[in-house]
Amino acid sequence: MTSPAASLSAVRVPKWAFAVSLLGLIVTYLVLQENGLALGASSELLHEFFHDGRHALGVPCH
Amino acid sequence: MTTYSSLALRGLAAGGIAGAASALVQLLVTEIPLRAALAVEQAREPAGDGHAHSHGEEEVVSRGVQVVGGMLGVVIVGLAVGLVFATAYALSKRWFTERTPFSRSFALGAAVFGAVALLPWLKYPANPPAVGDPETVDHRTALYLGVVVAGLAIVWGASLLADRLRAQSQPVRVTGVLLAVVAAVAVVLMAFPAPPDTIPADVPVAVLWQFRLSSLAQLATLYVGLGVVFGLLVDPATRRARAGRVAGSPA
Repeated sequence: MTSPAASLSAVRVPKWAFAVSLLGLIVTYLVLQENGLALGASSELLHEFFHDGRHALGVPCH
Repeated sequence: MTTYSSLALRGLAAGGIAGAASALVQLLVTEIPLRAALAVEQAREPAGDGHAHSHGEEEVVSRGVQVVGGMLGVVIVGLAVGLVFATAYALSKRWFTERTPFSRSFALGAAVFGAVALLPWLKYPANPPAVGDPETVDHRTALYLGVVVAGLAIVWGASLLADRLRAQSQPVRVTGVLLAVVAAVAVVLMAFPAPPDTIPADVPVAVLWQFRLSSLAQLATLYVGLGVVFGLLVDPATRRARAGRVAGSPA
């Protein structure tokens, strides 16, 4: 796994970094893909509010 | 000394800037075919089946709010992706380790663009409003996410393969990785089913393609822009050059 040149990028990645990344993925999902699975009825409002962005970034919208 | 939190903050900043640039492309470029597509959708209304979005009820959100909300959404996605990007950058121990931080970030941004934007765009091109059967949206979303995951797996596999071929000369290594990526992309494009929805006849081809190319331009601005801005923020050479110029300028 580790390459000889790994010392160049010797950044210690703490455990909470994965929580932060997960948060990033969840936010991305809520903005781009939420179709009622996670938020139920209020996703309709979210869907319409971010409507143009969803189309523009090419995700399936409706 | 670089810490993860400093990288994460730069990821947020770079994501915000790239997201804002992408939102600007949306306002100036993508909104033009999007408006044309909405006009097509509106022209259908008297015919019966109503507005596909509001499911027969009154509009939940006005057009003006949708334009601003859409841009805000792109900026939020930029911030979120920036955080994930910074984490991936911090973890990428074998990603072009001999290069400068700027070229590592730029290459990572370009690879992410290929995996999560260009590949899904090739298989399931972006569609404007007036295209898309609401009944198939869950199916299409699953297919779309499947291609995104496959794209990320290809990038991951390419970095593993490049590491495995470390003993080879650079031309052999690059050719090997390139062949493997092309083969994997071909397999993904053939293995996933064709887009389930047909394009309605009343959607002009010019509008469709203008929309698809605008969408691709916006995705490139977001992901490649993220790689470039993050690279500028993490590479010490950026600050050194500026410091040198300031020191050298007349008082």
